[in-house]
Amino acid sequence: MIRIGHYLNQFFAGIGGEEHANHPPEVRPGPIGPGRAIQALLKGDGQVVSTLVCGDNFFNEQGETARGAVRAWLRDTRPDLILAGPAFAAGRYGAACAEVCRLADEAGVPAVTGLHPENPGLLSYKRAYVVPTGNSAAGMAPALAAMLALARRRVGGTPPGPAEAEGYFPRGIRRPGLRQAVGADRAAAMLVAKLRGQPFRTEIPVESYDAVPPAPPVAAMDRARLGIVTTGGVVPKGNPDHIRRCSETRWQHYALAGLDALSPDAFECVHGGFFNLPACENPNLVLPLDILRTLEREGAFAKLLDSYCATCGNDQRLADCQRNGAEIARWLREQQANAALLVAT
Amino acid sequence: MTVISALPPLAMQAGANRVVQGVKIEHVCGDPSLSPAADRALRRRLVERALQALQVAVDGPTLF
Repeated sequence: MIRIGHYLNQFFAGIGGEEHANHPPEVRPGPIGPGRAIQALLKGDGQVVSTLVCGDNFFNEQGETARGAVRAWLRDTRPDLILAGPAFAAGRYGAACAEVCRLADEAGVPAVTGLHPENPGLLSYKRAYVVPTGNSAAGMAPALAAMLALARRRVGGTPPGPAEAEGYFPRGIRRPGLRQAVGADRAAAMLVAKLRGQPFRTEIPVESYDAVPPAPPVAAMDRARLGIVTTGGVVPKGNPDHIRRCSETRWQHYALAGLDALSPDAFECVHGGFFNLPACENPNLVLPLDILRTLEREGAFAKLLDSYCATCGNDQRLADCQRNGAEIARWLREQQANAALLVAT
Repeated sequence: MTVISALPPLAMQAGANRVVQGVKIEHVCGDPSLSPAADRALRRRLVERALQALQVAVDGPTLF
């Protein structure tokens, strides 16, 4: 008999819509709403013993309290399995379901949820076992069936196989395994399919980029404070922060005050993704401080910031790029920059 | 922000809205094979173009 704990938001628990989205966490015995459908699918080998209900706003705005309630529920109920949602395309609900899965994992209880591919909850806890659903509750029946099928694999018997075979969302985990053909054959077959216009599936999906709205034009350049940023790995000689030649996750800012140009005695290029000797011999080839000082003196802009920002863009993960970009933008704003140049190598 | 890049199509694909074509990956802002004066002149043209791009309204990734 599988003892199941079910997480629901205020809507699916039948409490109400947005006006009840601040509903505090509340434990109810047995199944409610979609939980009854789960119970029907169980055919006697399991039971929804408890349902935790929480309003979507409450869960996302009072995270600490909500997490405490989930932990207490897990402790008191001692379920064999947690099912959360499904949340379909509902963003706050999806984030709550992902967080419930994370807390269940933490407590050593297997958990499964169901989300639409565009639900932002998918990004909040990548390690969750999530089955894809439709974008609305019209897809409830197949979503529950898929959740339960995956959940049965998790609580007993053989553990779930790879995401692509089992139909859940990839969790970003690679395990060694055997394919039918070696990589070269698979790559050649993929190329042939592509050239013939036939469908093929990449083994290394490219992550997609955010669209960033363009900044408005700088109205008065002669009064602008200008920042300069590079992904080219130009750092003070000796690389005091050990900026990595590749796969860097951080950025740093370094002083430029009082310098008229970047001297090779004081700066170097540590980027490992290209032949960096020219940039070591003349770092201005990447970070054009000599020209920026000339233009500053001529009044092309008001002032260059006293420090520049640097990271090494070589094989930097997209998630790190996004975080570094956001942090650098915040730093530039703190320095009251009106505009910035980014030299990307 | 203007991005100076040796690979503008990549910069634009990644969503950079103001992009200036740099020289080469190894020396985006100049050319060490030129005389120092010519190298500086080339670098100056690139930086000036990047500053100009900052002063133009764009509605998406644009190459200057």
